[in-house]
Amino acid sequence: MYRKLVDHADDTNRLLARYGVKFGIYKNGEFKEQLFPYDPIPRIISRKEFDYLEAGLRQRVDALNAFLFDVYHDKNIIRDGIIPEDFVYSSKGYLPECEKITPPGNIYSHISGIDLVQAGDGTWYVLEDNLRIPSGASYPLIAREISRRVSPETFSETEIMPNRYYAAKLREMMDYVSTGGIHVIMTPGRYNAAFFEHSYLAERAGAVLAMPHDLLVEDNKLYYMDYTGEKQKVGAIYRRISDEYMDPMYFVPDSFIGVPHIMDVYKSGNVAMINAPGNGVADDKGIYYFVPKMVEYYLHEEPILHNAPTYLAFYEEDRKYILDHLRTLVVKDVSEAGGYGVVFGDKLTKEELKKLRQVILEEPRRFIAQEVIDFIDLNIMEGDEEVPRKADLRAFVLTGKETYVWPCGLTRFSRNPDSFVVNSSQGGGFKDTWVLSR
Amino acid sequence: MGIISVEKADRLYWLGRYTERVFTTVKFFFDTYDEMIDAHDDAYVNYCKRLNIPDIYGSKYVFARNYLFDEKDPNSVYSNLLRAYDNAVMVRDELSTITLSYLELSINLLKQCGSSGRPVYDFQQIIDYLYAFWGAMDDCVEDEECRNIVKVGRYQERLDLYIRFNYPVRSIHREFARLVNRLQHVRMHYNKEKLAELASYIENGDAWRERFNEAIACLCSIIYFESPAVG
Repeated sequence: MYRKLVDHADDTNRLLARYGVKFGIYKNGEFKEQLFPYDPIPRIISRKEFDYLEAGLRQRVDALNAFLFDVYHDKNIIRDGIIPEDFVYSSKGYLPECEKITPPGNIYSHISGIDLVQAGDGTWYVLEDNLRIPSGASYPLIAREISRRVSPETFSETEIMPNRYYAAKLREMMDYVSTGGIHVIMTPGRYNAAFFEHSYLAERAGAVLAMPHDLLVEDNKLYYMDYTGEKQKVGAIYRRISDEYMDPMYFVPDSFIGVPHIMDVYKSGNVAMINAPGNGVADDKGIYYFVPKMVEYYLHEEPILHNAPTYLAFYEEDRKYILDHLRTLVVKDVSEAGGYGVVFGDKLTKEELKKLRQVILEEPRRFIAQEVIDFIDLNIMEGDEEVPRKADLRAFVLTGKETYVWPCGLTRFSRNPDSFVVNSSQGGGFKDTWVLSR
Repeated sequence: MGIISVEKADRLYWLGRYTERVFTTVKFFFDTYDEMIDAHDDAYVNYCKRLNIPDIYGSKYVFARNYLFDEKDPNSVYSNLLRAYDNAVMVRDELSTITLSYLELSINLLKQCGSSGRPVYDFQQIIDYLYAFWGAMDDCVEDEECRNIVKVGRYQERLDLYIRFNYPVRSIHREFARLVNRLQHVRMHYNKEKLAELASYIENGDAWRERFNEAIACLCSIIYFESPAVG
């Protein structure tokens, strides 16, 4: 059903280049922009499978939003002993500055990027929740648009759920949480790895693409400044800048990419910040362990989606297991992201294992370990040949008036046959994700 | 009229200048290159002089290659095209991906055709893309002021280059009128005295040519921004 897309892969790549579908990468201190390698063979998800994922993702994101509200307000989940307080307060993503702030609509994670993999037996596992500034939706969005031009018959012959509504849904969500005023997508600038996405989503969602110095706080309101000195109130800001750089008055004081006093505006309820600052506490790799418990605690439901079997070095029993099975586990440093800080025990030398063991003993809170899931390979084209490669799926969930699961997603794959790491920053490519209508 | 930040206005203005710089210098280059084929090997020396760029080339062959394609030469057409792109990509939300794609196409093509030995032939397609870029801009860019800021940059650059390349008076008058017209449709600050001074030079027949440097200086000081982008 996708054969024609493979036949026309060069045409697709030509159009991806034409539209500048790139991502940036820093290597040896130098910024390089390159085309995001695209593979024409889509990941195909049946409708039944999507219905399952949709229900599970919606449930998971709703629970995470409930957790964020709780953790910055009453902290019942800590008081009731579901999550040890150490895990919350020692998390780098926990921001005391966000205590008692209720964001517009009570929504913290407006855009959630949930990373999943599928094991050989068909079971889906959540690997990571990305609730800060998950990126990647723009790539399958534009790739689909191009694929439909390159091979219209593929899409008339196969019943695939449209993915074109992502930007409209984004807009709808921004409208819902807006405090009145224009919508802005704030980018740190041209040399951010995901700049293409920032500018493309701004265009598609009809938002203004703003640089930090285009914005100004006055009378506890956020304004977008015109070049003649006029200003317009901002009601919703989709910021693509990390929490710590958002406001030099609150966080990193010498941040040049923040907006001074924006946190005051947010605190006063005068602007919706997408996603809310402080979300890092919920997508911390250590907190991940507790997400199924959050589902039970807040929603009184059985978790639909599974976590990968995970051990917390923080717990003595788990720590013992980790140290005894280090060679067969994947160990993750909770403070790292983007595929960094992930080590596979079987790839380490004796000496490296010894060092890792020592660090785990010294800083148990810093590490989690997971069973290596032998997740299924997806075929990619390498020259004229189909070859299997490891791939994950980043599903995008938008939360506004309702929680919406985008019937698409970013399928990332490793181009290296021996690697499980699919991140674009480490040379991975992407595929479109088809959800069949039936 | 929409709301346009200083950064955006600056980007739009320089986008106009750099796209025009590529367009017009390439057209001049075509003439110079033609002259170099079988008439004057050193025609490029005069070209550099008129543009006030250093003659770092040494031969017509090096000039034909490096002036067009050398990314490291800050005066090359390639460098100017990259600067146009650097400004354009920052205002994708105003320009639209469709409009921007014509600059992407130009750059992608320029990367491919570095050593064909037929620069005029290669560059014809880039000229076509620039025409398409401007056409797409008129068609796709909703905000009229955004379009006009680009055009202010474009006509200012064109006027600058026409003066440098000693264009006929009627062409200079036409471009000056276009610049004035666009300035009336934007809210940007500009130096009205300098504009009037420039008008006094060029409305005086060919006499202004003797005051070439003053005319250029005048033109350069008409428009100013608070924070320069990739200028």
